[in-house]
Amino acid sequence: MSAEPNSMTPNYYTAKGFCFTSAFWMILATFAGLLGATELMAPDLTENIGWLVFGRIRPIHINLVLFGFVTPGLLAAACYILPKLLKTELFSEKLGVVTVVLWNITLVAIVVTLAAGYTQGREYAEMIWPVDMGVVAVFCLLIVNFVMTVKRRTEPILYVSVWYVLAAVILTACTFSLGNIIWRPDTGSLKGIPDAIILWFYGHNVFGLLLTPLSAAVTYYVLPRACKTPLYSHTLSLLGFWSLIVVYTHIGTHHLLQVPVPTWLKVIAIVDSVAMVIPVMAFLINIWYTVQGKLGEIHADVGAKFVFTGTIMYFFVSIQGSMMSLPQVQRVTHFNNWVVGHAHIGVLGFAGMIALGGLYYILPKITGKPLFSRLLADFQYWMILIGVVGFTVVLTIVGLIQGNAWLNGEAVYRILPSIHIYYVARASIGLIVFTSALIGVYNVIRTLTYQPKESAT
Amino acid sequence: MRMTLSSVVIGSLLILFAIIFIAVVLPYADTNKTVPSEIFRSRDAVEAAGRKLYIANGCVYCHSQSIRTIDWGLGAERIAQAGDYLADQPILLGSARTGPDLSQAGGEHPDDWQIAHFINPRYVRPLSIMPAFAYLGDENIKKLTAYVQSLGLKDADRRMARQRHWKIEATKAYEAGPVANVKWLHDMVPEGWRNVPNPYPTTEAGLARGHKIYQDNCLGCHGPIGDGMGPAQPWIYPPPLNFTILKDRDVSGGILYYQIMNGITGSAMPYFKRELESEKIWDVGNYVAVYFIGETDANADPRGIDASYEPQ
Repeated sequence: MSAEPNSMTPNYYTAKGFCFTSAFWMILATFAGLLGATELMAPDLTENIGWLVFGRIRPIHINLVLFGFVTPGLLAAACYILPKLLKTELFSEKLGVVTVVLWNITLVAIVVTLAAGYTQGREYAEMIWPVDMGVVAVFCLLIVNFVMTVKRRTEPILYVSVWYVLAAVILTACTFSLGNIIWRPDTGSLKGIPDAIILWFYGHNVFGLLLTPLSAAVTYYVLPRACKTPLYSHTLSLLGFWSLIVVYTHIGTHHLLQVPVPTWLKVIAIVDSVAMVIPVMAFLINIWYTVQGKLGEIHADVGAKFVFTGTIMYFFVSIQGSMMSLPQVQRVTHFNNWVVGHAHIGVLGFAGMIALGGLYYILPKITGKPLFSRLLADFQYWMILIGVVGFTVVLTIVGLIQGNAWLNGEAVYRILPSIHIYYVARASIGLIVFTSALIGVYNVIRTLTYQPKESAT
Repeated sequence: MRMTLSSVVIGSLLILFAIIFIAVVLPYADTNKTVPSEIFRSRDAVEAAGRKLYIANGCVYCHSQSIRTIDWGLGAERIAQAGDYLADQPILLGSARTGPDLSQAGGEHPDDWQIAHFINPRYVRPLSIMPAFAYLGDENIKKLTAYVQSLGLKDADRRMARQRHWKIEATKAYEAGPVANVKWLHDMVPEGWRNVPNPYPTTEAGLARGHKIYQDNCLGCHGPIGDGMGPAQPWIYPPPLNFTILKDRDVSGGILYYQIMNGITGSAMPYFKRELESEKIWDVGNYVAVYFIGETDANADPRGIDASYEPQ
């Protein structure tokens, strides 16, 4: 691994901290998923252990995946990418380390409070007010650090990855505060239908304004670098960036199409959900044309391999998502495991793959030594790929069984036996993904700590 | 277009604020004028405490409270209206039906069934995948039950009044002894049904089907040998019916069918009209008659026209 010439040798403490954070919390996040899946197949396995009840494990799984595994993984890459692209150092590694520590404290608080039953009961906005404050604080610290890094740049041009990182942290700080109703510390919610509208506005923006822009930022950096090729089109990056912010933010109400909310709002949500094709394809065409004919280079770098696979998953999950916003489709897909499958393609297949890709791409660069084991990283890649495809197939089948049965008058209880075997399959696949997280954290820790032999370059 | 720090930051924030205005503020102004629906009422202190437990234990992840025009199941008779949710903070629409929708769950079952179900759902619903909630303790389970019984608001109150009325009748009948109890149970079945024998003959295949249906639906209360000593029995009063004492008491196929289909309001016996099709009800009724009661009127007179496909 040839280190790029650099007069300073930055220590990248923040990026390393986020790498470890992501790899570590991926273990607990996937374990919570595995446990929840197991409880659906064997409900008395954890009988009367209150803090392990499915209704508490599920939000722990989701919040840890979002804020423990994927977001820190993407931020690790961002903390390396920004200084590189701006030809400067991160504004303050100290502040960065404080952010990482505070982030981990917040994650511990998320697990403890949710397991103890302290929740605001709103999907994606469960955390109680003090924990919300921790999240807001880390985003504010990130904004300061990133904006100041941009201000101190020696490179006049802002590359598209920089736009995405800035927009992600700034807009998420806003929508998180809004969606969690942080001006009402006691309940963190509104009353009635307005609460649902604001919740799903925020809930969908966790993907739209946090995971997607950060993933795009990492992709825009990793793939052209790995392929040693310039970006295909500046115009497409502009189109993709601005249309993402305009379109994605409109679509949250597609979660409420079967609920008594104003029809005009549903129309906006459906139209913009279909219009998501614009930002998605602008980004993907740009990236895919950039790497055209360079699959060999992508395959040579395990980080780029993860990231490229993530872009394919992004294509699939986005087209699927646009389709799922159509009311006729939702008659079958709403309220069942189809949607759970969709979420797994998006968060594990797209954002999770890219978070891991960014992590494996930067690890050799921030440690100045090769990845501890390329084999283990490849092994993890295949386990996650099999996991995502497996979840998709199994959960989509379950969703179709449930949705079609309900639509034709079957009771929820009656079809439980027909989906049981799929719950077993899903838990088994969860075991694969959990195992891959164990392999990943071992690889990350060894990479951060091992001493390469003298002969290594 | 040349992107600068300020164009990225200010540009994206301006777009976000414009869209918040469209997608959050305007809808708020629109939906904030919602008036109470005809079933709306506020919750009392116990129900509100139960709702807090419902939130704390994540019930919302598996149970929606949002009846749609395309629904068939529990509560489908009343499509959700914005005015139902006026007091709900947070609103608990839910996003998955791992279990049934609970919009109209109030009064569907009596309290004793609900409590047994919370202690361990498989006590009353053998196939259920819901977690056991005995760890909450009796006091909290009572609160949670009060909340569930309030779902449907005024509609639930009407159903609960029905449950309480019939609970008194059912208890009175049970305490008057088996003879009076069986008479009461028979009297609750409309005249026309009482004299109808099971129209289909007893067959091995039919009994096997009945056995499976019994295990999937009935065993929790009535027990594996039909003596009313299933795992739910300690929580249920009047206790589950003991089928083994029913011989020579004129239990017809029609009576069994009607009571399985329609349930016995006030007792913990739910209706199965939504979950079991006609043949399944006849099959499980005959299974109970053959194995537990010890006599069956399957295929006895009076018979109507023969079904086109039935064994001898």
